[in-house]
This record gives sequence, structure tokens and C-alpha cells, in this order.
Amino acid sequence: MPWTEKYAPQKVVEVVGQKKAVDQFLIWLKSWKPGKKAALFHGPAGTGKTALVEALGKEKNLEIIELNASDYRSASQIKEVIGQSIKQKSLFKKGKIFFIDEIDGLAGREDRGGTGEIIKIVKESQYPIILTANNPWDVKLRSLRSYCQLIKFGKVFYWDIIKKLQYICEKENVKCDKEIIIQMAKRSEGDLRSAINDLETLARDKKEITLKDLDSLGVREREMNIFDVLKIIFKTKTAMSAKLSIQNTDKDPEEIFLWIEQNVINEYEKSDEIAKAYEMLSRADLFMQRVKKRQEWKFEKYMIDLMTAGVALAKKEMYRKFSRYQYPDRISFLGRSKATRAESKEKLLELSKKLHCSTKKIREEFLPFFKELL
Amino acid sequence: MVEFEVWAEKYRPKLLKNVINQTHVTERLEAFVKEKNIPHCLFAGSAGTGKTTCGLAMAHDLYGEQWRANVLETNASDERGIDVIRHKIKDFSRMKSIGNVPYKLVILDEADALTRDAQQALRRTMENFTRTTRFILICNYSSKIIDPIQSRCSIFRFRSLSEKDQEKFIDRIVKEEKLKISSDGIKALITLAEGDLRRVANLLQASSSLKKNITEDVVYEAASRAKPKDVEDMLKSIMKGDFKDARKKLHDMLLIQGLAAEDIIKEIHQQIYNLNIPEEDKIKLVDKTGEYDFRISEGGSGLIQLESLLAQFLLFSKKK
Repeated sequence: MPWTEKYAPQKVVEVVGQKKAVDQFLIWLKSWKPGKKAALFHGPAGTGKTALVEALGKEKNLEIIELNASDYRSASQIKEVIGQSIKQKSLFKKGKIFFIDEIDGLAGREDRGGTGEIIKIVKESQYPIILTANNPWDVKLRSLRSYCQLIKFGKVFYWDIIKKLQYICEKENVKCDKEIIIQMAKRSEGDLRSAINDLETLARDKKEITLKDLDSLGVREREMNIFDVLKIIFKTKTAMSAKLSIQNTDKDPEEIFLWIEQNVINEYEKSDEIAKAYEMLSRADLFMQRVKKRQEWKFEKYMIDLMTAGVALAKKEMYRKFSRYQYPDRISFLGRSKATRAESKEKLLELSKKLHCSTKKIREEFLPFFKELL
Repeated sequence: MVEFEVWAEKYRPKLLKNVINQTHVTERLEAFVKEKNIPHCLFAGSAGTGKTTCGLAMAHDLYGEQWRANVLETNASDERGIDVIRHKIKDFSRMKSIGNVPYKLVILDEADALTRDAQQALRRTMENFTRTTRFILICNYSSKIIDPIQSRCSIFRFRSLSEKDQEKFIDRIVKEEKLKISSDGIKALITLAEGDLRRVANLLQASSSLKKNITEDVVYEAASRAKPKDVEDMLKSIMKGDFKDARKKLHDMLLIQGLAAEDIIKEIHQQIYNLNIPEEDKIKLVDKTGEYDFRISEGGSGLIQLESLLAQFLLFSKKK
């Protein structure tokens, strides 16, 4: 049994580092009656969302009917798994809980109508429903959100992680310096599950963990920051090293793409190099969109090669200069303007009712002439 | 919001008989209204020819004061997914109408923006609720509507409007608003609006807010305040070799103003011919523009593709 399972909380109080969320949850559970809102656990990976539900099930002897992202979750499928049992009593256990994991992972096309069906179930269920999501603000969940009470799971504080790791070491009879545990806790960035996994990787069949072992996890490698990646891509002349540069970051290719795109002009100076680099990015973008649209991951490798090696080889000579790389405009713009964009969207929708046309038409046909409309 | 009256709305005909030059359509629609029996309809035609207007006018004629309760107006360009069909439209269609007309009306504007899946879902809804609800689908191109839906609808094609028709409309507004406009002003309006009465109204209103006496120059000034100016500025920057600035202007248009990439690229294409570069370079740039336009319709993201296109322009700039 993996340690993450072995040391998973058996009781609600054993859930680590989420006192506020647990309290909120217990209050919600106590006051729950058929027809009330579902609980929506949200927060980053490895913070205990699923663990809490499972602990509750064990402690109170409840049957947990689970549906996670690996299941196909269109409206009819959801109905099949959950629909019939929302009113039936549990055969062997005292009660039940419906648990729909990772709802932000509902696929648009394949899980069509999934959220609608979940809403229906929330309204009709005789038993409490718990949902989890990494990002509760996902547009897909907009309609569902009003039927949920949001319960936030923050990153686990690192001293809570330290305590848990120490506890496991003790139980497993592993000797491990506190300094090492602190390091491990830090690099987990609030993800308790990954910290326990790391510990297990190092400690399996061993009695002692040393600082040197920590290196074998590739800590530094894993934390290779994006600036180093950019430096390699923009300075190297070999396709292979450009391509491999992104393997050791924790950022996903799409984000790295934005970083590269932002910084082409901070490195390259000649027009033909810039044009060539952008040509590569343009083609990489096409592959990226194909991955997204068709869910065909085989296209991702082309995207990665084009955006790394392609951009790297756009230059004739390496620039012997220090370049200051920037944070992508687009990421910061999207972060900054979330509120204003939502607001203007609202205004546009209001206008679209009055003027009997789409918001797109209003932006194109009316706003250029009449700024006073907004 | 201060009450700001948009002429395009103010002068939208309220009655079917006031719709300009679509008598072949309105006559039949009037007959439908008289019998209080409307088939599912599909209105096709270019922008600003009266499609939405006819739909709304029919709703007025049918339900009078109660039209708002009996009509669902939705815009597929804003809500194009299957959810809209499944929930909003279905829920509305299910219910019985209020008043003495036995069914309600769904006006689905820009229906060609509906995804195919959504259209499939719509098809069932149209069938199942015919007794309680009739649909009016509005689109530019009927070819983008799937056959099964087309076969369920009476199809009406709206004619493009002639210069005379547009003049009639301009006249209507000029009289009502007591404007002064020269004959070359009218010509300019017609040239720029390309048969789109909505744009005629907007241009006229924008011009009138600039000057009391509307002349050709005033109309062009009002028009150039709109989008093309931004694209022109962006191209100026890039042709000077200032990629950073051009990129910033592009971001401004796409992200802040929220314009569509397709529209910007269309404008870029038009302006290539005004650039101060050798003639054969213009052709090369047109070719490039076409390629990137294709990539956008292949699914590429507008921002990246347009940036890349700008980078290609760099090759023809002074910097080179």
C-alpha cells in the first residue's frame, strides 16, 4: 500500500492543516437537508479534499458513491450511476454520500450536459453531495456554482507537512534529519500528497535518509526556473538542448509558450530572425490548438519542438549580451483585468438586449461610434 | 448609464409594412400574422437588411403589449453552446403562451454561430414543442444551418438594399432629426455603409454629433474614428520597424477592445495597398496575410497568429 494511502486520515479530525475548511464542512453537514446546497471543495492538488471525504466515510460508516474524472460523465452516464440511487437507502451502511471528484475536469464535448445533470441531482438528492474542483471559477461551473457552498482548501502550511512527515518517519522507523524534512516540506509547496510521495521514494527499504539522497530527487532540477529555460532556448544553437530545456520545469508547455513568445523581442534584434521565430511560434500555436480542440495529445510534441528548437534556431549567431526577460503580458493582463472584463461584458449584455444584437455586433458596429454607450 | 438614444434602434421599423424593400417577405409574414399561424422561419440575408426587425415586428403584431412575455430573444453569437438549447430555450418552449395566440416565439439571432451539436439539439426541440413554440432563426448564410433544420423552416431571403432604399432611410432620419446633409454626404454614407442600414444610422448619428452641416468630409471623419484608424497606426509602427509598439497596439485591440482577430486581419488586408512600399512587396504581404488568416480559421489563436503576421511585416519594414 502506498504511504499516501497508508497514512491517509481515518477520522475527520486527522485531516492535516485544514481546520477552517473542516469546520465549515462539519457545519454544512450538520445542517444539511434534502434540497440544500451541495458542498464544493476547492483548492490546489494534494490539500486533502478527497482525503476528508474518505475520512468521513470511514468514521461515520457511510457509503460513498464516487464519480471521478476517469469516469465518463455525460448527463446520461451521471444519471445511470447516481440518478437511481439518490432516493434508495444504502444496503449495508448507515447512509451515503455522493462524491463527484474533479468537476472542473468535465470535458466540454464528451461530458455534455454533465453540469446540468449534477444540478438536477443536487436539487433532488436525499443524501448530501460533495463536489471537488481545483478551480471553482471555471466558466464551466458557472451555473453549478449557485447550487454549491464553496469550501476552500488552502495550501497546507509547511509546518503541518513537517509534522506529518516526522510522524511517518517515526512509524516507519526511518531516520531522517529534521533539516531534510524541512527541505522536503518546502519543495512540496503546500502539496502534502507530493511530500509523502517524495518521502516514500527516498525511504523505501532504507533506514536512513541523508542530504545526498535528497539530491537524487532532483530537487534543483525540478525547480529550474523559467528564466533558465529561456536562457537556454535563446542562447543555444543546438536543437536538442533547446528541446530538452523545458523538461525540468514544472510549468506546462502552454505557459512556457507564452514566456517564449513574450521574450523573442527581448533577445533577437534582426528582423529576419524575429520573423522566423514568430513563424515557428505561429506553427507551434496551430499544433497547440489542435491538441486542445481534438484532445489529440500526439500533436503536443510538435508544438514543443517548434516553440523551443524552432525558436532557438531562428537566430544566426548567439547574442553575446545579457537580456532581461519579462513576465508574459498576457498572463498579467488576464490577471489584472478579470474584474473589468467581467463588468464590461455585463454592460454589453445589457446593451445587447436593448439593441437586439450580439455583443460582438455592439463592439464592432456601435462602440466605435458611440463611446458613451459604455 | 445616461439615457443615450441610438438611432439605429429609434428608427427600427415597428411595423412589418414599414420595413424597407422586403415586400416579398413582409407580405407573406403579414399573412401569417393575420391567420395567427406562423411556421418555423429562417431569415437569411446580409447585415442591416431588416431580418431582426421583421422578427420583432412580427412579435409586436402578434402579441401586442404582451410580446415580451411570449417572445424569447436570444443571440447565438453570445450563447452558442448546447447548454442554451438544452436549458434556456427548452425551458421556455415547454411553457404555454399567455394571451390568445396558442404558441410563443423564439427569435434566435445569428443562428449560424450555433455549433453543429447545438443545431442538432435544436432540431429535436423544434419538433417536440411545435405546439407551444415557433422558431424564427436569423442568419447571414443559410448554408451554415444544417439541412434538417432548413427543411423544417420556411426560408426567407432578404434582399440587399439598393442605393435608393438607403436614401429613403436616410431621408426618414434626416427629416425626423432636422439634419442638414449635402448630397455628397449622402453618397459617402451609402459608400461606407455597403447596404447595411444599421451602419447607415450609426454613421449618420456619429457624423451629426461632429458637425451640424453634414458633408462628405464629416462622414469620412466619423468613419475613420472607428476601427481602421487603430489598424493603420499599428501598421505604421511595424513599417517603421518598431515591433514592440505594434505588438502593444495589437494587444490593445484584441485584449482591451475585444475585437475579433478575423476583423483585424480583414482590415490589415485592405490597408496593405495603402502602404508606402514597392508594389511587388504588397503582393508578398497579401500572400502572407492570407496564410495567417488561414491559420486562424484552422484554429490558431488570434493573438499569436496576428503577432506572427506582424513579425512577417517586419521583413518589409524600414528597419530591414
